Amino acid sequence: MNELLGLWWEWFPDLLQGFFLSLQVTGVCLLLGIPLGLVFALGVSAPNKAVRLIFLFVVELGRGAPALILLQYFYYGLPSAGITFSSFTAAALALAYCTGAYTSEIIRGGLEAVASGQREAADVIGLNKLDALRFIIVPQALRIAIPSLLGFSIIMFQASSLCFTIALPELVSRASAIGSNTFQYMPVLALAGIMYAVVCIPATIIVTSLEKKLGASSQT
Amino acid sequence: MSSVSPVSTAAPSVIKVQKTEQAFLSLKGLHKSFGPYEVLHDVSLEMHKGEVLAIIGPSGSGKSTLLRCINQLSPPTAGSVSMDGVTIEAGCSSSRNDLVKLRRRIGMVFQSFNLFPHLTVLQNVSLAQVRTMGRSKRDADKKSLELLDRVGLANKAELYPARCSGGQQQRIAIARALALEPELMLFDEPTSALDPELGLEVLAVMKELANEGMSMIMVTHEMHFAETVSDRVVVMAEGRILEQGISREVMRNPQHERVVQFLRAVRDR
Repeated sequence: MNELLGLWWEWFPDLLQGFFLSLQVTGVCLLLGIPLGLVFALGVSAPNKAVRLIFLFVVELGRGAPALILLQYFYYGLPSAGITFSSFTAAALALAYCTGAYTSEIIRGGLEAVASGQREAADVIGLNKLDALRFIIVPQALRIAIPSLLGFSIIMFQASSLCFTIALPELVSRASAIGSNTFQYMPVLALAGIMYAVVCIPATIIVTSLEKKLGASSQT
Repeated sequence: MSSVSPVSTAAPSVIKVQKTEQAFLSLKGLHKSFGPYEVLHDVSLEMHKGEVLAIIGPSGSGKSTLLRCINQLSPPTAGSVSMDGVTIEAGCSSSRNDLVKLRRRIGMVFQSFNLFPHLTVLQNVSLAQVRTMGRSKRDADKKSLELLDRVGLANKAELYPARCSGGQQQRIAIARALALEPELMLFDEPTSALDPELGLEVLAVMKELANEGMSMIMVTHEMHFAETVSDRVVVMAEGRILEQGISREVMRNPQHERVVQFLRAVRDR
């Protein structure tokens, strides 16, 4: 046991750097991806059929392609077209697209869940479409969507582990590198797993309690 | 005769508002269909500035639809709505500006209040003043507090609507509509979602507005209120105006058989 703790102590600083990089790439992908999801959601609900179809295509492509393919495409594929990204940028962009595509459905559900009377009230007090969205519909839709968005954010944090395939030195890359150098795969992957769990388990508990709280307040 | 009805009307010469000049609001040949179902059949109606009109009738008779056609929340399928020089013809796409002009002059209060739950009471009343009237936030808040005071709710300004009773929420909705200084107020069954006691507070505010000379059209099931507060009662059934005239005359001495039947049913309840 002491031997295991000693190894973990030795590897921890290196894994911690990878852990922070995982958090960073997740943070950037969510900061870009969720607003992108809102844009996609509004595009998919647009009154113009051509606009709606274009956005639908973009969203379905993002949802249909596995995150791993998107990562590989952005990092290894795009350079063939003369577009080259660092592994961090490629990871952030690919995962942001994936986040945008998936969260657009969550946000669209939230937009549709806002009572129709709210749109009518915005209409009769003279707000234009943009103001009605900005001040009335989107804030309420996001409030409805928050628990699902947070749940999805946890999944994206876990999905950031796929970035080890494009040479991003995040948590799994570092754990894997230590494993290949020491052949101590089991303990190092266990420690990496615990580090993911330290974030994901409390976050899941928070999301669940938030869901209950928002559910209760919407009934008042 | 300035009030037009497809069927019968009470004697027009004694209607107070008809002593005034031109019609303030004029609905001509309104039709409204939802798919194959025609909800309004050729409804025409006129009202004058400062007049209070009550629309009564059985459920499903098209009363609320008529109200929603006036401010184009539910655009009519055919016919026209004119208000003080602005005319909206059904199916005419060129009148987006006119639509905005028309809407800004009409306030509406819904049965289910439709306050914005994520904004405080004060923000509910101030938002449109800032966004559509170009008032500064400070001026808008000042005006909102005056209006909330007028409906007896200045002390609720910082609360969220969910913390207020139904009657209070409806009074806030009235303050929100008044904030835009409308020339016409539409009330769509404003007390139907309230218990009778809470409904009274709302009716008191409406009565005060009527006494101040606000032009008002209300769809209501409050027969006593319709009789005592409104200048004119319009009775609708099956998407048509069956009868209209001075409130007391229509309520006490209806001419149309269906109206007699409806009013009897209401009184016997």
